[in-house]
Amino acid sequence: MISDIIAIIRDYWLLLLIGQYPNGPLGGLAATLILSVLAIAFAFPVSIALALARLSKSPFLNWPVTALVYFTRGVPLLMLILWGYFLVPLATGANVPSFLTMLVTLVVYQGAFLSEVVRGGVVALGHGQMEAARALGHSYLGAMRYVILPQALYNVIPSIISVFVSTIKDTTLGYVINVPDLTFAASQINNQLLTQPFQVFFILAAVYYVICWSLTRVAVATEGRITRKRAGTVPLQTAKSLKLAALTDQPS
Amino acid sequence: MIELKGVCKSYGLYEVLKGIDAEVARGEVVVICGPSGSGKSTLIRTVNRLEEIGSGSISCDGNNIHRPMPAKELNRLRSRIGFVFQSFNLFPHLSAIENIAMSPIRVKGVSRDAAYAKATQLLERVGLTEKANAYPGQLSGGQQQRVAIARALAMEPPVMLFDEPTSALDPEMVGEVLSVIKGLAADGMTMMCVTHEMGFARDVADRVWFIDQGQIVESAPPEEFFSRPQTTRAQRFLSELRH
Ligand SMILES: Nc1ncnc2c1ncn2[C@@H]1O[C@H](COP(=O)(O)OP(=O)(O)OP(=O)(O)O)[C@@H](O)[C@H]1O
Ligand SMILES: [Mg+2]
Repeated sequence: MISDIIAIIRDYWLLLLIGQYPNGPLGGLAATLILSVLAIAFAFPVSIALALARLSKSPFLNWPVTALVYFTRGVPLLMLILWGYFLVPLATGANVPSFLTMLVTLVVYQGAFLSEVVRGGVVALGHGQMEAARALGHSYLGAMRYVILPQALYNVIPSIISVFVSTIKDTTLGYVINVPDLTFAASQINNQLLTQPFQVFFILAAVYYVICWSLTRVAVATEGRITRKRAGTVPLQTAKSLKLAALTDQPS
Repeated sequence: MIELKGVCKSYGLYEVLKGIDAEVARGEVVVICGPSGSGKSTLIRTVNRLEEIGSGSISCDGNNIHRPMPAKELNRLRSRIGFVFQSFNLFPHLSAIENIAMSPIRVKGVSRDAAYAKATQLLERVGLTEKANAYPGQLSGGQQQRVAIARALAMEPPVMLFDEPTSALDPEMVGEVLSVIKGLAADGMTMMCVTHEMGFARDVADRVWFIDQGQIVESAPPEEFFSRPQTTRAQRFLSELRH
């Protein structure tokens, strides 16, 4: 069993690592990491923009984003991916690479989820901070930038991590539209071997576990650094429970 | 310097301010007192437009604060009216000196060095030089409120507003905050201060406004107001306060 796994890794490590590259598109773990990093890097600022739009009093900003949030909440990600894959080329005639379809879908979907986390953090702060900033002459956006968001984002770090982690896990769905990621490579190997699905997918699970676990570690360390910098603002008790929450929270 | 004309405000059907006409001269210190729910906070918050008004006008230095104007203009006017909250509202993610220096840098575009130099001076003025790098969570209530006063002063406002600056404090910390405010009064700052500290009002105020049910019922120099209140409502308020 363990020897099977070692044998698979020995025979297929390059496929798992970079897919068919350079004879085909870059795939495997490299594609998964690139997709994850890009999705998170875009979804985060997008989520802040969406959250600000939802918090805005202007119906022109508020309504479309509220609709988007409700829509993404109610529709399975897989549906969005398939729609994007089949409908966008039909509608536009453009040949969109599946990697790009996957990336955009993830950014929209996770951005909408994350925007609710961010909005929750802002709302939970209460009025006092915004009023104090406005009374000093800050503009609304200036107050957000320098006063509200630095606190709100810090307070919701555990939930942000949860969304990041589920973003990474969701990259596996790219498999259904042939994004040549790690999952795709593993299923290719499985199709060749035919007899060792458990071993193949065990490797897959282990790799995803390590990636997600590392992200959580990095996030907890970052949070700890901020907490120490703001020493005294967060009682020890809260700091500890935040860390536990980071490891156990699921995005709702 | 501050002129309120026929200021009315309602929350739904409930009239909080029922036609306030009053004036604060340059360098004058006005203490506002009155029973709970009489509209003191609402009144003082309309002066920097943290609350909108229904009708009337409020001008500060000749600028009508409540006229329709671009957001930028309102921000600029607000930055020239210092406001100190009952609950301090310091920015907990910034140290004391950052709390003070941040707005001059971000709002007025003051250079970092100048803002920190000024913040250091202000910390000295409120007696907290040694707490420059402490975060709000590491400061006592009295210390936090003094930083909050310094933060407001950093914008160099010609007017300061205080909404019960000491009522969230333990009794032993009230004095340190009041003495900072007294210092400001001595320097000729124009101030409006909602407070029930009658000793402070006697020492510092040029005028006391007694507010009841959304109206200024009495406006008199402190010695007159405290020794010879004209209305029964003020008499009742003062006798309840002394108990
Ligand atoms: N946002 C609001 N919505 C509805 N009613 C409000 C609101 N804010 C204040 N009020 C009401 O307006 C009245 C005046 O409130 P205000 O806070 O100005 O009183 P106050 O004189 O400052 O009282 P206190 O001494 O308790 O601080 C109160 O009856 C209060 O319930
Ligand atoms: Mg009040």
